[in-house]
Amino acid sequence: MSKATTTKTTYQIPIGPIHPALKEPVFFEFELDGEKIIDVNVKLGHVHRGIEWASRNRNPIQILYLAERICGICSYCHPIAFSLAVESVADIQVPERAEYLRVIHGELERICSHILWAGVAAHEIGFDTVLYLTWQIRERTLDLTEYLTGNRVTKGITMIGGVRRDITQDMLPKIHETLKYLKDNFEKLRHILLDDKTVKMRTKGCGILTKEDALKLCAVGPLTRSSGVKKDVRVDSSYFAYGDLDINYTTPDILTGEVNGDVYDRIIVRLLEIKQSIDLIEQCLDKMPAGPIVAEPKIPKLLAQLKKVNGEGVGRHEAPRGEVIHYVKLDGVNDAPYTWKVRAPTYNNILPWIPMLKGEQIADIPIVAASTDPCMSCTNRVAIVKDGNKFEMNKEELHRLSVEKTRGLML
Amino acid sequence: MLPRAFAQMFKKPWTNKFPAKYTPSNTTRFLEKVQAGKVKINPPVETPPGFRGKIQYDKEKCIGCQLCLKVCPSEAIEFKPEDKKIKIYLARCTFCSQCNDICPVNCLSMSNEFLLADSNLYSKDLIVE
Amino acid sequence: MTEEKILTAEEIVKYFIDEFNTKIKDVKIKKRSAGLKKNETTNIWIKIDKGAFKDIIKHLCALQFPHLSVISGNDLVNSIELIYHFTFNYGHRMSEIMLNLSVELPKPNPEIETICDYIPGALISEREKQEFLGIKIIDIPDNKRLFLPEDFPEGVYPWRRDETGPEKLYRNLHEVKK
Repeated sequence: MSKATTTKTTYQIPIGPIHPALKEPVFFEFELDGEKIIDVNVKLGHVHRGIEWASRNRNPIQILYLAERICGICSYCHPIAFSLAVESVADIQVPERAEYLRVIHGELERICSHILWAGVAAHEIGFDTVLYLTWQIRERTLDLTEYLTGNRVTKGITMIGGVRRDITQDMLPKIHETLKYLKDNFEKLRHILLDDKTVKMRTKGCGILTKEDALKLCAVGPLTRSSGVKKDVRVDSSYFAYGDLDINYTTPDILTGEVNGDVYDRIIVRLLEIKQSIDLIEQCLDKMPAGPIVAEPKIPKLLAQLKKVNGEGVGRHEAPRGEVIHYVKLDGVNDAPYTWKVRAPTYNNILPWIPMLKGEQIADIPIVAASTDPCMSCTNRVAIVKDGNKFEMNKEELHRLSVEKTRGLML
Repeated sequence: MLPRAFAQMFKKPWTNKFPAKYTPSNTTRFLEKVQAGKVKINPPVETPPGFRGKIQYDKEKCIGCQLCLKVCPSEAIEFKPEDKKIKIYLARCTFCSQCNDICPVNCLSMSNEFLLADSNLYSKDLIVE
Repeated sequence: MTEEKILTAEEIVKYFIDEFNTKIKDVKIKKRSAGLKKNETTNIWIKIDKGAFKDIIKHLCALQFPHLSVISGNDLVNSIELIYHFTFNYGHRMSEIMLNLSVELPKPNPEIETICDYIPGALISEREKQEFLGIKIIDIPDNKRLFLPEDFPEGVYPWRRDETGPEKLYRNLHEVKK
């Protein structure tokens, strides 16, 4: 009778300080005992592109477009956090209409991102039909984004001191039509994702993150809110027009009355946030004041002003995945900032993977890792050392294991 | 879930149509036939107004102030000192239209052309001057 | 469960100055307003002395468990400056305060204690600073590299601006035939 030997497994995942789009490699090291996971070790860094270093000879307006390309799906959060930091250093006062417009674009991006996540999570369980359905709904939202900003992703709508394009009266009917379409389909989405027996069996009690762990490991975004910690930059601090709007923390007890911190709760939090975003956009459209959309319309004057400023500033924003923070230090001599530090939200959400995955089975790795919504699809290659023989499993095999578990549960 | 999946079988497909119904055996010959007007293809989807496509440059109005070079994030614009005009390389352009905003005489604008793929980065179609 | 008190910026500053009078070098409080109702957000910038660093962190955690956002680093000519960004009062509407603690480490021997025993979530940020700025963090639980690949040369620190910077590794980016 062999005593329980722990076998070390290595799993590679690169996450840069910058977050490219989905489908990325990450490195994990698992210690397995049979099918259960005993210990997890995380290793990162495979897609590091040196973006902060590339900012050393670019002026702040060029950095806006560099920041946009940090991540495809959070392509609005990084330029906006950068411009909040620069406005804090240079003491630029943003006009009120621009603040409401910024809220509208931010919430629209949050809707697109959460619907995409719902499709990916369903795909990890094995429900491909839900993937097609959710992405079908998302197409309408992307069409609205293209109509308002000129492009579906990399929107290029931020400018230091305001926004670049206005929402005129003739654009309003199309916005209301898309919002109505989303509201009509929201109930169908909720029914498919939350009332389905298989989804409940797969996700309830799986990948639990307790409230103490979430606080100690400084997790951010829907991950902490689904464990019961009330942290949301939009409600906590006043930036853009969130101070005037009616907004509150989204925790799972709004719908079910109790907080478990498992994958099912995270689905609940993200769906409730979609509903909250639709409501926020409607509130903004009603209350938006008239006025200029940018603090300094003449760009050469803005550049000359930023060149003389000396100081440091911090800008924070609530991205769909959590809190984004940028730190900028301008030195008053060069065009380019002296230091620019980017911290994307998935950065803080890596450490919670360790307590969440201990005690789970291998087939649960895709759904638990996907439920934290990393800004890239986690597994590229998992190398497993079992009883001294090394063999590698790649993403397709892990996905196949996950789908087989669902079939096994359904029988 | 199941009734909705069934209903989709009887509805029109959601995706846009491809240009040709069946894949042509030789793509270059097919494209030549389209240019000559012999074969019809399904047109691409309409772009909304304000779409940022290929850049258009009005050479007469340009005054050679070089402000657009300062803001281009990818250094896609080159200044020609001898006749004080610019040359734009579309292979590096990110279609941000920041150069449009800063130009004092409004000589740059974005059209809605987006079918720009080419195998040679510096071909005639991808240089605007 | 005791009710959590909402702290104001002046109370927090006074709490530190009472305890560590000489170790605090500089305090700045900045407020910014936004939106139609002009609600304000407060940022506190404090410069502290390196010797009292660990005690100050212990004092901070005793007041209210903070949320550590990120640790950022600056390479000034003769020293390396680390800035710890903390936030307080999360969970209460419109009352969050941001505290930025900056510590200066001398260049020939940049070392600092870890805060992972009080705040476990700081591990990733500290590992990143170790490999990018070349500082040494004493008693860190996990000493491996985080973002740079295994074969990146030792002694080259990408964020530094002096001779240990990555200038030698910079290759002709603009070698485009025009």
